[in-house]
Amino acid sequence: MSKNLHKNICEETLYSNFFKKYADDLHSFLYYKFGDHLNPKDKVQEAFIKVWENCKNITPEKAKNYLFTVGNNLMLNEVKHQKVVLKFQQEKPKSHTNENPEFLMEENEYSQKLQKAISSLTEAQRVAFLLNRIEGKKHKEIAQLLDISTKAVEKRIYGALKKLKEQIHEL
Amino acid sequence: MEREELIRKWLDNELNPKELQLFKELDDYADLIRISDGVQKFKSDSFDTNIELDKLKKIIDTKNQRKNWLKPLTAIAAAIVVLFGVYYSFLLQETEVSTLASQKQEVILPDNSNVALNSLSSLTYNEKKWDTQREVSLQGEAFFKVEKGATFNVKTETGLVTVVGTQFIVKDREELFEVICYEGAVRVDHNGQSILLKQGDRYIKMDGVTTSQTKTNQQSPSWIENTSTFKSLPYSAVIAEFERQYDIEITATNIDSKQLFTGSFIHNDIDIALKSITLPLNLEYTRTNRMITLKGE
Repeated sequence: MSKNLHKNICEETLYSNFFKKYADDLHSFLYYKFGDHLNPKDKVQEAFIKVWENCKNITPEKAKNYLFTVGNNLMLNEVKHQKVVLKFQQEKPKSHTNENPEFLMEENEYSQKLQKAISSLTEAQRVAFLLNRIEGKKHKEIAQLLDISTKAVEKRIYGALKKLKEQIHEL
Repeated sequence: MEREELIRKWLDNELNPKELQLFKELDDYADLIRISDGVQKFKSDSFDTNIELDKLKKIIDTKNQRKNWLKPLTAIAAAIVVLFGVYYSFLLQETEVSTLASQKQEVILPDNSNVALNSLSSLTYNEKKWDTQREVSLQGEAFFKVEKGATFNVKTETGLVTVVGTQFIVKDREELFEVICYEGAVRVDHNGQSILLKQGDRYIKMDGVTTSQTKTNQQSPSWIENTSTFKSLPYSAVIAEFERQYDIEITATNIDSKQLFTGSFIHNDIDIALKSITLPLNLEYTRTNRMITLKGE
């Protein structure tokens, strides 16, 4: 690990790099955990502003954890465990595809099933699984983001997949 | 290799070609791939790091600016408030001086006229208008030594006292209205009447009816020297003055409060003072803290 020369992250380029490194991850994390109806983008901004305002007390090593905790708390302040239903992009018929209307309908039906199944996952499973599948994050990366062990991540993702499969078959 | 192990490796993108082949042969391979593909549609809203960073920088800038703005602004605002406060309190607003029970105070007016306020009295005057109009409002009792100059008015609820350079007292209490002129001349406007008091003249109005004029040969009111003197005044006025000077409460039983009293009491020893107002009338008194009961025979 590189030794940090900085005591805090008030320095502007340091702060900008910190943003570039984690903003997207924080956004994904908040989005998959809480859904889109609480404006995860705004919460990302707010969380980073909090970090900036307290930058004197935040060492570079602690910054990521601080950021994610703040972001998470900002969301929790607004929502008390309500069921999260993620939206999905509706398939639009394209002139240049060979997909016929029945196929598109079937696809949308499948997406709806999947939507229900995803919302039945636990919060922890959902976040880990979607970060892995959609954002293409390795187990180790997710473990670092969430501050948990790789084993735990593996378990969550595998559990999620298993549950989704069962749910879709049942529906 | 075990099925679960294969799936785990697939999930972490760790399958080697041989394992991939095995994975593809799993009977739920199609289902798994379909789920994996299907969830892609649930991708979060696009997040452009650069755009968001610009946004953030703007917010932080405005926050900093607001802070920078706020400081001088609050300073200016505070200065304005202070200036207005000074303007109003020193230039525009009336000056009020009041005394509590058993307290006396001397006030020097802008023209060096001297006012001594007796207990439980208040004096109001306008410093800014002083040059054009010498006027004070009085509640209670005060001794005036007025410098020579334009007309000097003392407004009370009961009457108006007008003077030109003189020494006099005005006493406007519930029980009586009294003006004594010690030097020069004083005009009392009261009940549509205008009475001129010369040196040594004393004007009293009691119970809203009685008015009388007597003479005094004192140079200044006795309370200036911490003694209250009464000359043929009803006993109720004595009790009221006693209450004001000692900040106590007096209950009188079996006493004719209209009885006229001539005498005095001092302001710095309550026991002697009590004796001087009770002995002449043959009264008994009991004292408990701030309550005094007077009893006639």
